[in-house]
Amino acid sequence: MSPELARARTQRGATRVTLTSANPYQPAPARIMRISEEVADTRLFDLRFEAPDLAERFQYNPGQFIQLSILGVGEAPFSLPSSPTRRGAFQLCIRRAGTFTNYLFDHVREGDLVGVRGPLGNGFPVDQFAGHDLLLVAGGLGMVPLRGLLQYLIDLRHRFGRVMLVYGSRTPDQVLFRSELTSMSRRGDAEITLTVDATAGQPWDGKVGVVTQLVDNLHVDVPKTFAVACGPPVFYQFLLERLVAAGFGKDRIFLSLERRMECGVGKCGHCAVGYTFTCLHGPVFSYWDAINLPELIYT
Amino acid sequence: MQTLRLSDHLLPEFVESLKAWGTLWAPVERAPGVFDLEVIDDVRRARPDALRTILPFKKLLLKPRFTMLTGRLGEIPEDPGEGRHGPQVFFGAHACDIHALRILDLLHLSNFQDSYYLENRKNLMVVGYGCWPDERCFCASLDTSTADDGFDLFLTPLEGRMLVSVGSSLGDDVVRANPHLFEPATRQDTREYMERLGARRKAFTLSLDVTDLPYVLELKREDPVWREIGARCLCCGSCSMVCPTCSCFNVVDELVPQSVGQRVRLWDSCLFRDYAVVAGGHNFRADRADRVRNRYYHKQEAFVREFGVPSCVGCGRCIENCPTGINVVEVFGHVRGDL
Repeated sequence: MSPELARARTQRGATRVTLTSANPYQPAPARIMRISEEVADTRLFDLRFEAPDLAERFQYNPGQFIQLSILGVGEAPFSLPSSPTRRGAFQLCIRRAGTFTNYLFDHVREGDLVGVRGPLGNGFPVDQFAGHDLLLVAGGLGMVPLRGLLQYLIDLRHRFGRVMLVYGSRTPDQVLFRSELTSMSRRGDAEITLTVDATAGQPWDGKVGVVTQLVDNLHVDVPKTFAVACGPPVFYQFLLERLVAAGFGKDRIFLSLERRMECGVGKCGHCAVGYTFTCLHGPVFSYWDAINLPELIYT
Repeated sequence: MQTLRLSDHLLPEFVESLKAWGTLWAPVERAPGVFDLEVIDDVRRARPDALRTILPFKKLLLKPRFTMLTGRLGEIPEDPGEGRHGPQVFFGAHACDIHALRILDLLHLSNFQDSYYLENRKNLMVVGYGCWPDERCFCASLDTSTADDGFDLFLTPLEGRMLVSVGSSLGDDVVRANPHLFEPATRQDTREYMERLGARRKAFTLSLDVTDLPYVLELKREDPVWREIGARCLCCGSCSMVCPTCSCFNVVDELVPQSVGQRVRLWDSCLFRDYAVVAGGHNFRADRADRVRNRYYHKQEAFVREFGVPSCVGCGRCIENCPTGINVVEVFGHVRGDL
């Protein structure tokens, strides 16, 4: 008998359950409290688990994700843009991109119930970050998981040194969480630099250009700093080596990556890259991991 | 370990007695030389000596297709129990099958436990049977040609009788329920078993050199061999379906009339084109050669790094079933530069 089965046979019902349900494929009901249009085709959803004890108990790390489920339509993984420091409810920031999100945008309203499985994945190593400066670099929708981390860092501000964010968008009307980021910056909670590829004729008082150049201007105390990046593949292509050139250790640069996921618990195989399951050992990896797993960052 | 003997003429009665412990599955001959794992009513149809059934026992634990959850559209679903099969007995498990079970256990019972697998696994009785290798067996290379544990009972055929190893408390229950079938094994039984073991070891004709294979593969990642195999592979997924350790699956939602939704779980293969497609359409492994390489690397490199053993037991099913004649042993030989 394998040790796994022996353990399973002797520990009936006493398995390690940190998920919303003992059956890892069973979603728990969550109610959509509020839906707001963040930018065009991208909405912010406020959710709360229907069971009061679960709503209270639901704890996660910044950088973890959930599977959102609508039975009959499907399931899809989404990063949590909210911080576990704000208990009781959580948020999702979702862009319309396919069958599932089309249904979500066209048919699901405030007050409706959806299914949620999670929290899944590893999340950012926030304990390792304590006492250090943080440089967050986001590109496009990559801001979603970093917004959760940013809120976390600011809610526990005394634990961390400088908090810097460089966030690049295509155009001004694509900037996520714009007013929130502006007030964070104004309060001095974080040093925030926003940039766009092009203004497209829209009013804009931020920078124009790619994030990589802006990182160089921050005068980062590299040995004291962890870098965290999230964005599309092309964004990593330039950014990561730029950070290494600036002196960052490859194991002090963290990325949050995307893959096709079905089960979310390391069984179905779809998100496997080399010896890792993105859903289980990721979605957060160090750049050193990425170098050793050639398929991890695809360009 | 308790070791007993069972006379050949009592074998049908023994197999009949297994029905008391659950739905009885055994290999049966569907066409000359073609074997299938089926539920057995007439025990004389059981062919535990059959080397490979088309589909391995994994279908007893996780069916090729089952409904995990069902409910009305938008409501919170319930488990209809379709993936839970109650007590089952697998008669005719070979050593490689038993090792494959251990590999599936590693995957499904570590980290988050797959509750469907767990329930069926706890309910599965494994009755092993000593096989004899053919030209496609290479389990000896992977150290999976014998099993010391992982079974409830194990029968090894000797002249006119079986040597019976009792591998678990449940296996002992079967013996206690049928005391008239068994006798203590004699020194002659043990001697014959040892002779058989030695002769069997010599009977292997196919071998796979696994020396440092994970590292060899790492060195050979960009080798042209993967393009060549990619050009031959049809990406039909047959090797994945017949593999006793391949257990990738897909999850799809279906709507049935009266807007009842069901979440269905289906066997999948990493060789299928859309396996790694994400929302928005990007395919992380659009190229056939990349998918072929991924499958071989997952078996012999990735699984080793994650769990300490390769997820291949050398059963030869993929060799037997590949429509274009791709042979895993030749592939790795080619990678090493042996061929």
